Amino acid sequence: MIEASERALMEETVRKAIEDACATPDGNTAVDAVLAQLGWLDMLDAEPRDAVDIVFSALGNANASATVLDDVVASAIGTAPRPDLAVLLPRFAAWEPPGSIEGDQLRARGLATARTATAREMLVVCGSGTGLWVAIVPIADAEIDAVRGIDPDAGLRAVRVQGSAVVAKQLETSAWQAAVALGRRAVAHQIAGACRAMLALARTHALERLQFGRPIAQFQAVRHRLADTLVALEGLEATLIAAGDEPNPDTAALAKAAAGRAVRTVTAHCQQVLAGTGFTTEHPFHRFLKRALVLEGLFGSADDIAVDLGRQLLAARAVPNLIEL
Amino acid sequence: MAFSKQSMSDSPHLADYRAELHAWLDAHRDELAPVFAAPGTLDEHVAQMQRVKAILFEAGWMQYGWPERVGGRGGSPMLRTELGAAIAGRDLVDPGIFSLVEVLAPTVIDFAPPELAAEMVPRLLSGAEMWCQGFSEPGAGSDLASLNCRAVPDGDASTASNWVIKGQKVWTSLAQYSERCVLLTRTGPADSRHRGITAFFVDMDTPGITVAPLEMINGDRELTEVFFDDVVVPADRMLGKLNGGWAVAMSILPYERSSCFWQRIAYLYRRLQRLVDVAPNDERAAEVIGNAFVQLHALRARSRATQHRLDAGATLGPETSIDKVLLSTAEQTTYDAVRRLLPGVVEMDDSATAELWRSEYLYSRAATIYGGTAEVQRNIIARRLLDLGSAE
Repeated sequence: MIEASERALMEETVRKAIEDACATPDGNTAVDAVLAQLGWLDMLDAEPRDAVDIVFSALGNANASATVLDDVVASAIGTAPRPDLAVLLPRFAAWEPPGSIEGDQLRARGLATARTATAREMLVVCGSGTGLWVAIVPIADAEIDAVRGIDPDAGLRAVRVQGSAVVAKQLETSAWQAAVALGRRAVAHQIAGACRAMLALARTHALERLQFGRPIAQFQAVRHRLADTLVALEGLEATLIAAGDEPNPDTAALAKAAAGRAVRTVTAHCQQVLAGTGFTTEHPFHRFLKRALVLEGLFGSADDIAVDLGRQLLAARAVPNLIEL
Repeated sequence: MAFSKQSMSDSPHLADYRAELHAWLDAHRDELAPVFAAPGTLDEHVAQMQRVKAILFEAGWMQYGWPERVGGRGGSPMLRTELGAAIAGRDLVDPGIFSLVEVLAPTVIDFAPPELAAEMVPRLLSGAEMWCQGFSEPGAGSDLASLNCRAVPDGDASTASNWVIKGQKVWTSLAQYSERCVLLTRTGPADSRHRGITAFFVDMDTPGITVAPLEMINGDRELTEVFFDDVVVPADRMLGKLNGGWAVAMSILPYERSSCFWQRIAYLYRRLQRLVDVAPNDERAAEVIGNAFVQLHALRARSRATQHRLDAGATLGPETSIDKVLLSTAEQTTYDAVRRLLPGVVEMDDSATAELWRSEYLYSRAATIYGGTAEVQRNIIARRLLDLGSAE
C-alpha cells in the first residue's frame, strides 16, 4: 500500500480528472482516456489495492462509467490487461463463468463494458466437465448488443460468443474466484462512491429546502433518514477496508453484499428526502439511482450473495471470524 | 509472557498474544468452565464472572493493557479487548456484566486521586469486588443532563470534608452485588444541566443507601433502583473536579464503544454459531443466516477500524454512534434469526436451551435502548457527523 499522504493526493487527482472528463462532450470515452493518461494500467500492476479503491470510488462518486472493470478482471485471472482486450463479465445477478465448452465448441453469454466497441479481442472464461478454461477470442466471434435498460449511460452490452474452443487454456478455479472477488470489490467501491454522492445531494437539499418556514433538515424524521444513510454507508466502507486488508473471496463477497444492502437503504432514504425535486430529471439524483440498481446486480446481488454465504455456513456448520484486530 | 512493551500497531505481536491467550484458555478449559447448568441464574453468572476474573488475575492475564500505576502490566488496551472477546466468545462470562470493568475502571484511573485508583482498581480486576454505575434517574434517561440526585457540601464547597447525597437512581445494573458506585450528582443549580454535575466514588455499604432490584422483561433482576437518603461521602471520593462530572460521564464513551463492543461482537458471533449448529439446512435458513452474517461482518469491520484508530492515538467521539447503531441493529437481527429459524423455541419451549435463547432474545430488545437510545444516536449523527444544524 502507498503512504496516506500520497494516497490522498492520488485520490484528489483521480477525482478531479474524472469529473473534468465527465463534463466534456465525450463523457465516458473521455474518462477512459484520462485514466489511461494517469497511468491506470501501471497503477493496477504496481498497487492493485489502491488503484481499484481510488478509481472505482471516484467513478461511483462522479456517476461515470468506464471500461476499467475489464482490466481488473483480466489481471485477477492472470492475463495482462490491455486497452484492446475486452472481458466477458458474468450475466446480470450472477457470478458463474459466462462460457461453456462442449467438444471443440465454445459458447458464452454475459455482459461486457463499452470496450467491446474498440477492442480487438475478448477474454472469455468457460466451464466444462473438466474444470475451467480461459480463451481469448477475436471480437468478431461476439454478437454484441447495447443494453438500454434502466441506465443506457452505464454503457453495458449483452454479448453472445460462439467460436472455437481450440484456443482455450486450462484455468485454476481459484483464478476465477479471484476475478469475482476483485470484481466485487471494484463494484462495491463504485457503489460506495455513488452512495457518498447521493448522501451529499440529499444533505444539501435538506439544508436548502424550506417548508413550514424552515429547512427540512430541522425535522427529526428527515434527520434520522440521513443518519441511517450514513450508518449504512460507513458500514459498507468498513467492509471494503476489511476486504483490502484481508483479501479473499469471502471478505469480497461480504463487501459486495454489504454494498447491495447499503445501496437500498441509501437510495430509499435519499430519494424520500429529495422528494419531488429528486423525482424529476432536472436533479442529478435519478442518474445515481439508476446506476446503483445496475451495479447492485454485477457479480451478484446482496440477496443472492447472502444466500450463498448462508449455505456455506450451514454446510460447514461454522461461522468464521474472517478478520481479527 | 511479556506482551507489554511493544506497540500494538505491530499486528503480528497482537496475533502472538491472541494465540498464546487462546492456548492458555484451552489448557485451563475445565477450571474456567461454568459450574452451573445453562441458562443459569443471575447469581450464578455473577459468581462465575468473579471466579473467572480471579483465575485470570492470578495467572496475570487480567492485568494486560492496564497501567502499571494501578497494578496493571501496561501495554495497549487492545490486549484487554482481546481478553474480553476471548472469554465472551467462549461463553465463560456474560459480556453484558463483564463489560462494567471496561466502563468503570478507566473512569477511576483517569479521575480518582492516584492512591485511591491504585488501591481500588486491582480489587475490581481480581474479582474481589464489583462496581456499578449510578447515572440514570426516573426523570433523566436519554436526557442525562437533567439529573437531580443532589450532593450538598457540609460547609463551603471548596473546603468541605464531606458531601451529603440525597436522591434516586434507576436502571442501575448489578447494584445489589456492588461494593462501589460511580455516581453522578447535581451540585450546581437545578437548571445547570451538564455544567452542574459532579461525580463521586461511593462505597455501597454507606448508611442511607437502599438497593431495590427490578425484574426485567426476561425475569432477571440485573437492574435496580438505588435510593440515597442523606448518604455521607468524603470529599476525597470526588472523581474529577467539582461540577466536572459531565466530563467524567463522557470519558466512558471511548471504552464502552471500543473494547466493550468488540467483546459483544465476539459473543454475537458465538450466538450465530449456536444457531448455525442447529438450524435446518435449507434455503430459508441460508437466507436468514446469510443476512445476519453480512450485518455482523459489517459491524465487526467497523469496530475493528475504531479500535485501530483508538490504538493509534485518536480521540473517539460522535462517530462511534455509528458503531452503536450497527451493533444494536445486528444484535436484534441475530436474535430475530433465532426466532425465525427455530419456531417455538423462544415462545413455547421449556428446555434449558430454549430458556437461554428466550432470555437472550428478550434482553436483545434493549440493545436499541441502553447506552444511548437508537434515536439519540441518530440525533448525534445528524447534528455532529452530518452537520445538519439544530433540530426544530
